[in-house]
Amino acid sequence: MIALGAILAVTAATVGLGLYGVRLARTTSDLFVASRAVTPWWNAAAISGEYLSAASFLGIAGLQMKLGSGALWLPVGFTAGYLALLLFVAAPLRRFGAYTISDFAEARLRSPRLRVLAALIVLLIGGFYLVPQLKGAGLTLGETIGAPYWVGVAAVGAVVAGSVASGGMRGITYVQAFQYWLKTFAIALPACLLLMHLGGLPERAALFGHEYPSAPEGGLVVELSEPQPVTFPEATPYVAGGEPAQAAEGERVTLPAGEVRLPAGAAVPVAEGIEPLRGEQWERPVSGARDTSPVFVYSLLIATFLGTMGLPHILVRFYTNPDGPAARRTTVRVLGLLALFYLFPAVYGLLGRALVPELYLTGDTDSVVLRLPEAAWPGLPGEILGALVAAGAFAAFMSTASGLLVSVAGTLSYDLWRRGAGDAGARQGRFRVAAIAGMLGPIGLALVARGLDISVLVGWAFALAASTFCPLLLLGIWWDGLTARGAAAGLLTGATVASGAIFAGLLVGEAHPTVEALLTQPAVLSVPLAFATMVLVSLTDHRGRRAPDAELLALHVPEGLGLGLDEEDAVPAGTSPGRR
Amino acid sequence: MSAPRTPRDEMAEATAHGGLYLRRLVRSQLALSLLALVTFGGIVGSLPLALYLLPGLARIELLGLPLPLLLIVVPLFPFFLALGVLYARRAEALEQAFRELVEPPE
Repeated sequence: MIALGAILAVTAATVGLGLYGVRLARTTSDLFVASRAVTPWWNAAAISGEYLSAASFLGIAGLQMKLGSGALWLPVGFTAGYLALLLFVAAPLRRFGAYTISDFAEARLRSPRLRVLAALIVLLIGGFYLVPQLKGAGLTLGETIGAPYWVGVAAVGAVVAGSVASGGMRGITYVQAFQYWLKTFAIALPACLLLMHLGGLPERAALFGHEYPSAPEGGLVVELSEPQPVTFPEATPYVAGGEPAQAAEGERVTLPAGEVRLPAGAAVPVAEGIEPLRGEQWERPVSGARDTSPVFVYSLLIATFLGTMGLPHILVRFYTNPDGPAARRTTVRVLGLLALFYLFPAVYGLLGRALVPELYLTGDTDSVVLRLPEAAWPGLPGEILGALVAAGAFAAFMSTASGLLVSVAGTLSYDLWRRGAGDAGARQGRFRVAAIAGMLGPIGLALVARGLDISVLVGWAFALAASTFCPLLLLGIWWDGLTARGAAAGLLTGATVASGAIFAGLLVGEAHPTVEALLTQPAVLSVPLAFATMVLVSLTDHRGRRAPDAELLALHVPEGLGLGLDEEDAVPAGTSPGRR
Repeated sequence: MSAPRTPRDEMAEATAHGGLYLRRLVRSQLALSLLALVTFGGIVGSLPLALYLLPGLARIELLGLPLPLLLIVVPLFPFFLALGVLYARRAEALEQAFRELVEPPE
């Protein structure tokens, strides 16, 4: 009940603040411009607030519990992505003044068709990224009030779509900054208190030693709602559906629905799709296993390092910076804020393996963050901390999902549907319809994607972004030789190879470990291919248009000289890319 | 007699000479970014391989955690931050130098 109250409070606060903020901002012509006086610290908190999604809040710890410490490369890459943004994108793009990637594509390469292609890719990435947020919502409501999975998915989908459609939650800097601190507090406080309460890490043999996770003193009792196929890592007696039974080492059994009991100290059987790991294998950040193999780790690092800049909801935020240097300072602060947050998910993964081993049996490792507080500290303290964590998780997917939906709906209504025709009222109407339509697809996908890990789904979004928009941005900003044709060819290649590999990976079951790693995380292949295609096609495209100096000027020349876009009409008429 | 032409005028009028200044600026910024990228890549890029090739590191414990785990949970983040701070400072210095070059203070 406490948890439900906390979730409702967070939801009400977010929606309420959003609507209130919009009313405040409506007095000025432009939300983004209106908030340009915001300091780098507020901006950085807002960027981090929108960025930290269900994948960071729930997914990292869940994947860590399932696969081992290899999952902890995710936060490394999630943070490093902002380093890439800082080094190559933040300041020049702020100076250029394009609000979205589709804007940038059209303004830099003068091709309306390229804008449409970019818009389609925005929808693809946005969809991939929305699904795991909704999955997180379904899990959280299930854990806290026992609602069926689809209820949480539909409820959060509806709330987010409704408030985006009504104009709330539109990139209000202060709301998103509040969300960052709420999330950090909600993940840090329980982690620290639980560690202090437990006096350190329990069950070290299962974490770092030679043991599998095992049933606690007094045995383990799990209530299964449906039959569950599992593998027993060690020979053990157990009781399923009231019948005593004996499992041999490595035996695969389908446990019937109902109560399952394991005696104290018995190694916990694992659900399908999970490999039973001893502590010493589990704690290795890189090993021979498929999902922690060097190929996979490098591919994941590339996807996250280069993919962050291509996520549709990220770049928009950089326009609340007044100029290029402020954009850099903001990004540096984001690095610090993310570093603070990412200290904590690993605590949940470690404690979860020790204290909530039944998640290996049910396969629901993604809910470890939600389950841990009550398992580690039974009674009121655990319940309160559990409520705090649930509220933080809700903040995570509400803020990310609404940021994404704003981008998706903007793309649908502006770039793809009637290309911005009609008056402001007609555009507003189309935006509303698009916000609702844009949520339907992800809701449907989230309902069928229950078995897929949140972090795996998010990894795909990053792989796609890294294989498409990353080369477009990097080459567009730093190379005057990029042509529209080259960019289009590269976008198509990257999108096709990355999504093709991901879908092939879903269809192909077993394969060589390296092949499987590449199909699950194709960035290490698809990113270089996309870059190479863009460069080669641009070089052979003799009729293509090279960027004149004036355009490079807009990207790179420092403020204060009267040469940039914001200052004087130094760029020939018609090239000014800002639109909103 | 008109006032002496500064490089800023050359660029505002998009002359060949102005383009030269601009290219020099872009090249120096890109070189700085690539230097930072190589520093990042050298450390983050070699870590997975080092941990893969040296499984013995897991036997070393620090602060109650095996070394490989500790290495990926804690020190990389302050490193990113430090690299970011250094880069941003250098990039601003380059821009300041460019400002003084194209529009010499009176």
